[in-house]
Amino acid sequence: MSTIDWIILVGTTAFIVIYGIWKSRGATNIRGYLLANQSQKWWTIGLSIMATQASAITFLSTPGQAFDDGMRFVQFYFGVPIAMVLISLVAIPIFRRLNVYTAYEYLEGRFDLKTRSLAAILFLISRSLASGITIVAPAIIFSTILGWDLTWTCVAIGLAVMTYTVLGGTRAVSQTQQQQMAVILSGMIIAAVIMILKLPPDVSFGDAVGLAGKMGKLNTLTLPDSFEGFIKDRYNILSGLVAGTFLMLSYFGTDQSQVQRYLGGKSVAEIRIGLLFNGMLKVPMQFGILFIGAMMFVFYQFHAAPMFFNKQEAQSVLQSEYGPQYEAVEQRYQELTAQNIAKAHEFVAARQAGDTEAVARHQEELMALQQQKKAVRQQGIALIQQHNPHADVNDLDRVFLTFVLTHLPRGLVGLLIAVILAAAMSSTSAELNALASTTVVDIYKRFRGDHFSPAHYLHASKLLTFFWGLVAIAFAVLAGNFENLIEYVNILGSLFYGTILGIFVVAFFFKQVGGTATFLAALLAEAIVVAMFALPQLGPDTFSWDIGFLWYNFIGCMCVLAFAFGFHYLGLKRAT
Amino acid sequence: MKEEPTSSQEEQEELKQIFPFVKSWRQLYILVLTELAVLIVLFYIFSKIYS
Repeated sequence: MSTIDWIILVGTTAFIVIYGIWKSRGATNIRGYLLANQSQKWWTIGLSIMATQASAITFLSTPGQAFDDGMRFVQFYFGVPIAMVLISLVAIPIFRRLNVYTAYEYLEGRFDLKTRSLAAILFLISRSLASGITIVAPAIIFSTILGWDLTWTCVAIGLAVMTYTVLGGTRAVSQTQQQQMAVILSGMIIAAVIMILKLPPDVSFGDAVGLAGKMGKLNTLTLPDSFEGFIKDRYNILSGLVAGTFLMLSYFGTDQSQVQRYLGGKSVAEIRIGLLFNGMLKVPMQFGILFIGAMMFVFYQFHAAPMFFNKQEAQSVLQSEYGPQYEAVEQRYQELTAQNIAKAHEFVAARQAGDTEAVARHQEELMALQQQKKAVRQQGIALIQQHNPHADVNDLDRVFLTFVLTHLPRGLVGLLIAVILAAAMSSTSAELNALASTTVVDIYKRFRGDHFSPAHYLHASKLLTFFWGLVAIAFAVLAGNFENLIEYVNILGSLFYGTILGIFVVAFFFKQVGGTATFLAALLAEAIVVAMFALPQLGPDTFSWDIGFLWYNFIGCMCVLAFAFGFHYLGLKRAT
Repeated sequence: MKEEPTSSQEEQEELKQIFPFVKSWRQLYILVLTELAVLIVLFYIFSKIYS
């Protein structure tokens, strides 16, 4: 990175941190610190919700996802508008009427202390680990591509976030998220414009879109071809609408890192509009990010690209005994790339001439070349794995950053790195803030009593934000040094969501079901979900079902409902 | 005797102050879900046209 890139990167990040501290000074109690004195306007709420969901990995791997698999990932977000409407209708009036600090606080009034504590503890476990992953995931990519030290990158991101989150609480998180979203959106738009401008002069925007479509990258709507496809396939319209809605209901309605973003709203109306604003913008925003990935695919139809985007792994295999073989495979890949570039120009010429027959012929030839390139790339990946069986062979989250570093002018590289850092910071700050509120409100205040001064709880909240910040940094450093830990933590989170949602669904809609029935149902449902995930790991011969991870939310939620009713009718009636 | 406004009436009034063109919450919810339906149709057309 050049000096100007460093100036822009450090300047943007420092501005956000200082702005967050300055705008949020003066909280004197936990109402101010954790709920921002319930003064947030709808646009602050909407942007804050959006920024919390969009982590660094969203901006690193989503374009890579479209680059490889097309735009069908957009269907994953179809559940967002539906979830926003349902949460606005059902949860917001209840949370607001009870004036709760956390979503779990409501569960004690509705059920009992043990159900509240169970939900809070499930949240604390999954979110505390996830906050470390939010930091380490971009740090790993920065370290492999830019050569930054992994440990120090984790520490720097963590400390920057902790500074304003500890000092300013919820208001600091929301205020900085507005700036972060501005940096993120402007950076992504600039990257997209430059990508299109850097296409060869004979290729128009229409040609680029046409080529992306013919190569199957604009598959924004896909239908499952069978019931099996419906269950196994992660991204199609039905899994997006059904399983996606359950996931989004869990995330936005019961995950404190999101609930806290809107509990600080000025009124029910401001909160609802903030949520609905997010519901309306989320799908188009994801479409935009995926479209950048599709355009990046087109860009690399006319420019040489590395066979494998994880340079570190490629370098490692080149220096090993497999080096000569890998070099030969890479040379073959580059020969195919040269043929691909020539064919892509012929495709565009045929398209401009309106020669549909030639377009179809070139499309077929380009598809065949893609298949060949894929096969050659697989040979390269196999060599990487032979050299190092634990090598990280998923390089899709490095595609976009490689483009940024290779093709963007000086200054803009710094801006785009700032985009990724801003996204990492926005998610982490919301997570630390939510972890602190849950610990203070659902654990500390609840079990140690409500008899301390407001200043005491304020200090406790700040101290706990600091503590969770340290946990996140420590876990990030640990995860960076242990392979597969990131993947396990991500899976762990999705295993808890359905159960927590099930508890809330019973709480909201089935007033006759009591706390003990729901508590036992939640434990049983969680055991089933964990077993469903764990048993196939024992070996394909023992248990061989294959379910898309989105469905665990649905299954967990349905199990809680079924068991809660079962226990209720077996005699665990609600105490009157 | 003048009746006190209920909380839902207050929310409705607040909605009208923020978005004068939306008459009720129900209308806003329908608007959000309609946008999703329109996007799904547009995505279908987009996929078909360019495939």
